Amino acid sequence: MIFYIGSFALVLTGLYIAAAKKNLIKIIMGLSLVDTGVNLFLISIGYIKGGTAPIFSNAAIPGKTMVDPVPQAMVLTAIVIGLAVTALALSLVIKAYYHYGTLNVRKIKELKW
Amino acid sequence: MRKLVSIILLGALAFGLVQAVKKIPFGVQKTKVGKYYVERGIEDTGSSNIVTSVVLNYRGFDTLGEVTILFAGAIALGAVLFTGKKRIEREVYPASPILSTACKFLFPLILLFGAYIFIHGHLTPGGGFQGGAIAASALLLIFLGCPGRKTDGRKTRLMESLGGIIFVLAGLLGLAYGGFFLFNFLPKGTVNNLFSAGIIPVLYIVIGFKVASEIAGILDNLFGETE
Amino acid sequence: MVVSPVLLIAVPLLLAFIAPLCGKAAKYIPPAGALFNLILSVILIPTVLKSPMIVSIGGFPPPFCINLFVGPLGIFFAALISLAGFLISIYALSYIRERAVGKYHTLYLLLLTGATGVVLTGDIFNLFVFYEILCISSYALTAHNAHWHRHGTEAAVKYLIQGSVGSAFILLAIGMLYGFFGTLNMADLAKHIARAHSSVLFIPLTFFIAGFGVEAAIFPLNAWLPDAHSVSPAPISAIFSGIAIEIGVYAIMRVVFTLFGAPLSVMSVLLIVGLLTLLVGEICAFRQNNIKRMSAYSSIGQIGLIVFAFGLATKSGITAGLFQITSHALSKILLFLTIGYMIYSIRMKNYPDKYVTEIEINSLNGLGKKMPLTSLGFAIAAFSLIGFPPFIGFSSKLLIVKAALLKGGIYAVLMGIALIATVIEGAYFLKVVQGIYFRKGEVEGIKENNVFILVPFFILAALIIFAGIYPGILTKILNSSSGELLNRIGYIGRLPG
Repeated sequence: MIFYIGSFALVLTGLYIAAAKKNLIKIIMGLSLVDTGVNLFLISIGYIKGGTAPIFSNAAIPGKTMVDPVPQAMVLTAIVIGLAVTALALSLVIKAYYHYGTLNVRKIKELKW
Repeated sequence: MRKLVSIILLGALAFGLVQAVKKIPFGVQKTKVGKYYVERGIEDTGSSNIVTSVVLNYRGFDTLGEVTILFAGAIALGAVLFTGKKRIEREVYPASPILSTACKFLFPLILLFGAYIFIHGHLTPGGGFQGGAIAASALLLIFLGCPGRKTDGRKTRLMESLGGIIFVLAGLLGLAYGGFFLFNFLPKGTVNNLFSAGIIPVLYIVIGFKVASEIAGILDNLFGETE
Repeated sequence: MVVSPVLLIAVPLLLAFIAPLCGKAAKYIPPAGALFNLILSVILIPTVLKSPMIVSIGGFPPPFCINLFVGPLGIFFAALISLAGFLISIYALSYIRERAVGKYHTLYLLLLTGATGVVLTGDIFNLFVFYEILCISSYALTAHNAHWHRHGTEAAVKYLIQGSVGSAFILLAIGMLYGFFGTLNMADLAKHIARAHSSVLFIPLTFFIAGFGVEAAIFPLNAWLPDAHSVSPAPISAIFSGIAIEIGVYAIMRVVFTLFGAPLSVMSVLLIVGLLTLLVGEICAFRQNNIKRMSAYSSIGQIGLIVFAFGLATKSGITAGLFQITSHALSKILLFLTIGYMIYSIRMKNYPDKYVTEIEINSLNGLGKKMPLTSLGFAIAAFSLIGFPPFIGFSSKLLIVKAALLKGGIYAVLMGIALIATVIEGAYFLKVVQGIYFRKGEVEGIKENNVFILVPFFILAALIIFAGIYPGILTKILNSSSGELLNRIGYIGRLPG
C-alpha cells in the first residue's frame, strides 16, 4: 500500500509543479516526476508479496513466487516514452530561450494563453 | 490564486485516485495474463528472463512502437535544434591528465559492460534499452572528459536507421515464415544458453546498438552550439 | 490469399526508418507510404465488411499477445488517414522546401503510422504506444523550423506540456484497469468490465476521457489547439485538423463504447461537452482576425459537433458522427491547404526571406481574381463546412439533425442550439469568401501555377462534391462501423477462447 501512496504523492507533486511554477525547466521537471510516479504505480501493481524477479536462471525458484512481468514490460516502454518526451521538451525550451530570452512562462505569451 | 485552484483540483484528484486504488488488491497473485507468461514463458519462447520474453515476444509490437518513439524523439530533437549553420567550435580547455586518463581507461570497460547487458538480455536482468543506455553513458564520458572528441553524426544516424530497418525486417520475415508478424522463427535452443530464444538476442543486440547511437546523437545535438 | 493488415503499419514504419538515409529523395517517401496504405486498405475493405479480421502478432493466442482488430471502423479510418496523408504529402512535395526538409518528411510519415496504429490495434497499451508516436511527431511538427519561428516554439511548448499531462492520465487509467482485471486486450477487458461493478470504473473512464480529450481538443482541454494549428505550416495544420484530432475522438469513442459499454450518464456528459465545445469554438472563431486561427477555432467547433453526434449513442447518431468526421477531414484539409497556398504566394512576393505561416484575413482581399482555382477551392471547403448543398458537409449535418430528431425530446432542443452555432460558422466563413472575391486588395503579381499544389485541390474538391451528391457510397461502411461500435458483445465474441 505504501507504494501506491508514494507513487500518487509523486504524481500529485509533479502536477502541482507543472501547474504552479513559472519556470519552464521546473515545469518539465514536474512532468518527469509525474512520469516517475506513474511508472512506480505500474510496477507496484505487479508486485507480489515476497516475490522475486521473473527470471528462471536458478531452477530452485518456483514460478509462483515471481512477480508479474507485464507491468515491468509496460514500464520499460513508458520510461523510453518519458525519455523521448523530456528530450524533445528540453530542446524546445532551448529554442524558447533563444527566441524570448527568458524561461518564465508568464512572459512567453505572444500568442494568447 | 493559481496555486489555490491547482491545490483544490489536485485534492479532488487525490480523492479519486484513493477511491480507485482501494479496490486494487496489493501484493497478491492475481493476473491471468502474467501467470500464463510465468508458467508458459520458457516453453513458448526459450528465454529464461520472462520480462524479456514479454517485451520482445508476447508484446513485441509494443517494443517496435517504443523503438519508433525513441527514433521519433531523436529526429524531433534534431529538427527542433536545426539551424542550418555550421557548428561553431567552442573554446575548450583540456581536461586534467587524471580526468582524461580515467575516461580513456573506463571507456572500453563501460562499453563492454553495456554490450554484456544487451547480449545477455534473455538470460539476466537487462536488455537492449538498458545496455544501450550504458554504452551511451560511455560516450557521454568521452564528451565530457576528452573535449574535442565527438561522435560522427552521419554514422549514428545510419546506425539508428539500420536498427529500425532490421527490426521491421525481422518482423516481416516472421510473417513470411510463420504467418505472424514478429513470429519467433529461429530455433529456440537450450534454455539458459547464450544461443537460445530464437530472435530475442538478435533483436536485443540490434536495439542495443540503436539505443546507444540514438542517445549519443541526442547528446551530440544538445552539446552542439551554433551562433 | 488475403494480405495481412499488419503491413498497413509495418511498411510505413520501414519507410520511415529508411527516410533519413535517402537525403534529398526523402520527400518522395511519405507519398509512397501513404499510397501503399491507401491501396491496401481499399483492397481489404470487402473482406473486412464480411467479417472483422483478428491478426495476432507474435503467434500466440489472444489475449496473451497483441492483436490487431481490423473491423469496418478501423479500416475506414485507415483508408481516410492514408487518403488524407497521400494528398497532403503530394502538396508538401513543393510546399515544404526550405530548411529542415528531410526531418519534416520522416516525422510526417511517423505521424501517419502512429495514427494508423491507433485505429487498428486491439490492445489498450499498444494503442497508447501508437498514440504517443502520433503525439511526439505532432509536437515536433508544430515547432517545425523552430529556429526561425518563435510562435511555433511557443505553441509547441504549450502543446507538449498539456499533451504529456494527458498521456500520464491515460497511462494511470491503463494501470488501474490492469490492476483490476489483469489483462490489456481490449476485448478481454470489455468482457471483464461488463461484469464489474460500476463504482470501480468511474475513475479510469474519467482519466481516459481527460487524457484523450487533450488530443481531441474537447472543451475545456483545447487551449493548445488554436496556437498549434495556426502557427504550424499549412500541410501540418491540415493533417492536425483533418486527422490528429479525429484520432483523439476515435480513441475516446473506442474506450467509451467498446470498453465501457457507453453508460447513459457518460454519454449525456459527452453530449453536453460536445455542445459546449461547439459553441465555444464557433464564438471564438467569429472574433478572430487571423485566418488560420479562425479555421483552427472552427475545427474545435466541428469536433464539438462530432462529439455531440456520438453522444446521442444511437446507431443513426454514430453513423452521422462518422460521416461528419469524413466531411470535416476532407473539407478542413482543403481549407487549410488553400489558405496555405495563398499565404505562400503572398509571402513569396512580399518578404521571401521571412518564415511566415500566418496572415490576417484582410490580406486575402481581392485574391479571387489572381488565384481563381485556389479561391474556388477555398470557397468549396468553406461552403462544405457551413453545410451548403450539394457539398458533403450538407449531407453530414443533415444526418446529425435527423439522428437528433429521431431521438426527440430534449435532444431536438439541443440540436437547435447546435444549429445556431452553425449559423455563426456560416457568418464568418461567408465574410472571408466575400472579401476574397469582392473586396479590393493590394495583391499584384501573384500567380498560381504549381501543379503539385493544385492537383490535391482538384481531388479533394471532387471528393467533397461527389460524396455530397451521392452520400450513399459511404453509408454501407459507415453503417457497419457504427454497428461495430455499438455491438460490444460481438467485439468480445471475436476473442478466441
